[in-house]
Amino acid sequence: MVTNSIMTMYVVGLLMGLVAGFLMHRSDYCMAGMFRDLFMFRQSFRLRALVLQVVLTMLAFEAFRLFNLLPLYPFPLLGAPSLAGIIGGALFGLGMVMAGGCVVGTLYKMGAGSLLSACAFSGLILGSGLYAEIHPWWTGIIKNTTFLEDYLTIPQLVGLSPTVLVLAVSGAALPLLLNWRARKLWEIGSEVRGYIQPWKTAVVLAAVGLASYLLIGMPLGITTTYAKLAAMAENLFFSEHVAGLAFFQGTPLNIVHPASQTLLTGGAGPLFDHIWMIQFPLIVGIVLGSAISALLLGEFKVYWRLPARQFTITLAGGILLGLASRMVPGCNVWHLMGGIPIFAMQSFLFLIGLLPGAWLGSLILPRLLGSTPSILKR
Amino acid sequence: MTNETRKTIEVDMRGQVCPSTLLVALDNINRNQKELSSGAVKLLIRTDNRNATTTIPHTAANMGYNTEVVSRDGYYELLISHLE
Repeated sequence: MVTNSIMTMYVVGLLMGLVAGFLMHRSDYCMAGMFRDLFMFRQSFRLRALVLQVVLTMLAFEAFRLFNLLPLYPFPLLGAPSLAGIIGGALFGLGMVMAGGCVVGTLYKMGAGSLLSACAFSGLILGSGLYAEIHPWWTGIIKNTTFLEDYLTIPQLVGLSPTVLVLAVSGAALPLLLNWRARKLWEIGSEVRGYIQPWKTAVVLAAVGLASYLLIGMPLGITTTYAKLAAMAENLFFSEHVAGLAFFQGTPLNIVHPASQTLLTGGAGPLFDHIWMIQFPLIVGIVLGSAISALLLGEFKVYWRLPARQFTITLAGGILLGLASRMVPGCNVWHLMGGIPIFAMQSFLFLIGLLPGAWLGSLILPRLLGSTPSILKR
Repeated sequence: MTNETRKTIEVDMRGQVCPSTLLVALDNINRNQKELSSGAVKLLIRTDNRNATTTIPHTAANMGYNTEVVSRDGYYELLISHLE
């Protein structure tokens, strides 16, 4: 099995990342853009693909769970619902709009040569490191706002089989998805080289998420490794300080993977543990996959002469994203492509916060950029 | 309008953060509405943002303008003009 060898974990993670990064670049599958465009321009074309991905993931996870192929269910590292997750989600929404990409969008854009996304990436690492400083205080807030401590998902709470909820939700979504198809809203005419319609990327990403859950025991996630990178960098200069921070000492992942009987352990500390083995190759894969796509199209280019204020905005957005993804904890990929498909309450709270956060971002970003066309002034 | 010289306003948005390409395009369309509508002015936007090559033509079409997308060396040129 995959998890009993470091090599196979690296290879599988890298492959999944390569596929995801390549396709995300081709379709410009940007989740920050999906939510931002809805609020800023009333455009929902790319968001429809995300709905498809979530519904497909929901069905796939449930089918494989019924065949006992997902023994870790709900998956590890999911927390009990806490109202603090809404605040984290809101900061995340604001941060991703300012950074011009979410924690994954930043990676594929950086892979294609975007200097501003590289700037957002530095912000992500900085923000993740900053979180370690506020962790004890924030943990207290999470504890005080956690309700239903013994329940992670809605099916657990209401005592229903997940199958019933999955069938109800996907049954309700089906007419909507078919209606979009009938109105030809799935595809858009595009004149860019090598364009892949976002719905196709959504289908493949749902399959990649399933592969991750099947092979590694949890859906796609990457942000703890941003905190690790921060810890590693900080450790070079202030090792005593890092050793004294509770956040870098914790090992939230501590579970035996039933298929391989391997003990998976890890946390945000500066160690090459299982979290690193799961997430780091995925990060590298996404950047490389996108770089390969851009190189093949002749679109890999670094533009240096950019407005200075955009560096400030993307760096600030990245810091917010890094902080928020640890405050939730978890990112949009983890919660929207992993948690919501299994009705994790924490993931719904994240989404409840994300929406007003992205709305606020879409309201202030044009002003920050210094360009508010009158069509947006309302 | 027949004798008026055609002017092209050029805007280079390559490398800039999303969605500034669309924002700046809209801003320029708004500010030059009269000249664009009369055909006196065309708007040329250079961008490497793949998504902007679909959102800009779509938005411009809703406002009554035509957009021609031309693939250049590693980027795209969008020429926005009055619908002939």
